[in-house]
Amino acid sequence: MIRVLKRYMRLYKAFFYQCLKEDMIYRSNFLTLVIMDIGFVCVSIILFKVIYGHVNTIAGWTFNQSVILIGTVGIVREMAYLTFRRGFLELGNHIRTGTFDMFMVRPIASGIHLGMRHLSISESFGEGMMGVALVIYGFIHLDTWSWIIFPLYILFLLNSLMIYYGFSLIINSIVFWVVKSQELNTVVYFFMETSRYPGDIYRGIGKVIFTFIIPIGIIATVPASALTGRLGFNFAVLSLFIGISFLCAGLFVWKMSIEHYSSASG
Amino acid sequence: MPNSIHVKELRKSFDYFRKEPGLAGSLKSLFWREKLYNEALKGISFDIAEGELVGFLGPNGAGKTTTLKILSGILYPTGGEASVLGHVPWKREPAYQKQFSIVMGQKNQLWWDLPAQESFTLNREIYEVDEAAYRHNLSELTELFDIKDLLDVPVRKLSMGQRMKCELVAALLHSPKVLFLDEPSIGLDIISQDKIINYIEEYNRLKKTTVLLTSHYMRDVERLCKRVIVINHGAIIYDGSVKDLMTTYADHKIIRLRFSSEFAGNGLGKYGEVIESDKLHAVLRTERRTIAMATSRILNDLPVDDLSVEDVEIEDVIKKIFA
Repeated sequence: MIRVLKRYMRLYKAFFYQCLKEDMIYRSNFLTLVIMDIGFVCVSIILFKVIYGHVNTIAGWTFNQSVILIGTVGIVREMAYLTFRRGFLELGNHIRTGTFDMFMVRPIASGIHLGMRHLSISESFGEGMMGVALVIYGFIHLDTWSWIIFPLYILFLLNSLMIYYGFSLIINSIVFWVVKSQELNTVVYFFMETSRYPGDIYRGIGKVIFTFIIPIGIIATVPASALTGRLGFNFAVLSLFIGISFLCAGLFVWKMSIEHYSSASG
Repeated sequence: MPNSIHVKELRKSFDYFRKEPGLAGSLKSLFWREKLYNEALKGISFDIAEGELVGFLGPNGAGKTTTLKILSGILYPTGGEASVLGHVPWKREPAYQKQFSIVMGQKNQLWWDLPAQESFTLNREIYEVDEAAYRHNLSELTELFDIKDLLDVPVRKLSMGQRMKCELVAALLHSPKVLFLDEPSIGLDIISQDKIINYIEEYNRLKKTTVLLTSHYMRDVERLCKRVIVINHGAIIYDGSVKDLMTTYADHKIIRLRFSSEFAGNGLGKYGEVIESDKLHAVLRTERRTIAMATSRILNDLPVDDLSVEDVEIEDVIKKIFA
């Protein structure tokens, strides 16, 4: 187990440098992306600022807590880009042109190899940095906090990444049956966008859907709740359970689906 | 010698949909599609011994690539069994994956924007080759494939022939015991084709790596392989030596004639099928069993300056088999 983990750490390092070298070839891209990301985050903040001009809290979330939430979205997205996100964006192309073959023959788990092959170091770098800045800003302005929330925040960030990864595995597995995947990723992106708003704003059936069926609602909300001291014990345990379930389900569906890979002739 | 590859009654069928042409057809296919099955492999069997270099020959769509893909674990077969180095390929065990390589002429595995060397170091990590072995293999392969000057050039700037050499080196760095080559010389000019074939031959001779190579260039197979498996419409129609293939299927020979004086060319038909003729030259295709008689009669009857008898091109033999 430790040996496998060590191996994948080494592989990650090797792929990271490889992707970084590739990224650096297109330097001008980098700057544009950073500026665009920062722009998008600013728009969200202005939106919240306008809303909070009229109310003190949204579903119990104060302005500073919301800033932490937005920042957390950025951090989770950055973590996803640094591990698997762009690989799934490229999956449709790989399958259509048959270059997915290469992921089937190498001695690395295909679902991990795909992500590492396309680590995106610059793509959401701006949003990630902005996320960290926002979380720090919001955190400084919080009234109360204790030391325990730091490890909890990290734990739930990782848990969120696990949910996001499992969710991506499941959604993208459909590609092996339906070949064209650009549309699917739009779906994932759309749900990722909804996580900008606190999970608490969903009520009733909406809450059930966004918590269990499409768990994007809890991806940013749970770690942000942990940091702002809003996370209850039951919901914390539940979200860890959801994280592990999604990862297992994702790996299972992925394994089933790649057996359906038909490659491209040639 | 022990078997490297064992294949028995291997079957694979693909399902696909028929779409009528045009936009209307596309719209219609959204709601109703006719499902069709294509039997790519209809139960093929063969064994390949360790260190053997076998050519897999057949026209496009014969099932060559499908077989290689099943043997490398890319595709799941519909039925039958196969084992390579004692592993079932489609279980995709890392222990197996570390021992073989597949190179496809039409699919690039190197990092496009980076120099080939970067892909090599990454492969070292992927295949867990230890530092000493890696350095040894790299220098040996660099020498053998003559790519010293190409190591630092971005892959996208290499010519097709250079790129294929680098692809092969990348695939061989972990000293695989089995090598699958799918059309390694496709798209290359004749000189590069020959070079690639030379390298493969040399490597097989040095390392005793089992090589299964597909091609639709007969030249490659003829030069490289003692044994050839001919496949068409998903079934093996010949498995044996290249020499026997010729004697079994090449029941004709070619007679080339040069005449000492202008000759109208009339009446050549009785010595064999006239393939081409002008006033001074003629090429005839004559049945093998009558070749001796035909040549002596030609020498007798015609003003012949030079006469040669040649085997038919192996391509023609193959064409005849597939016809």
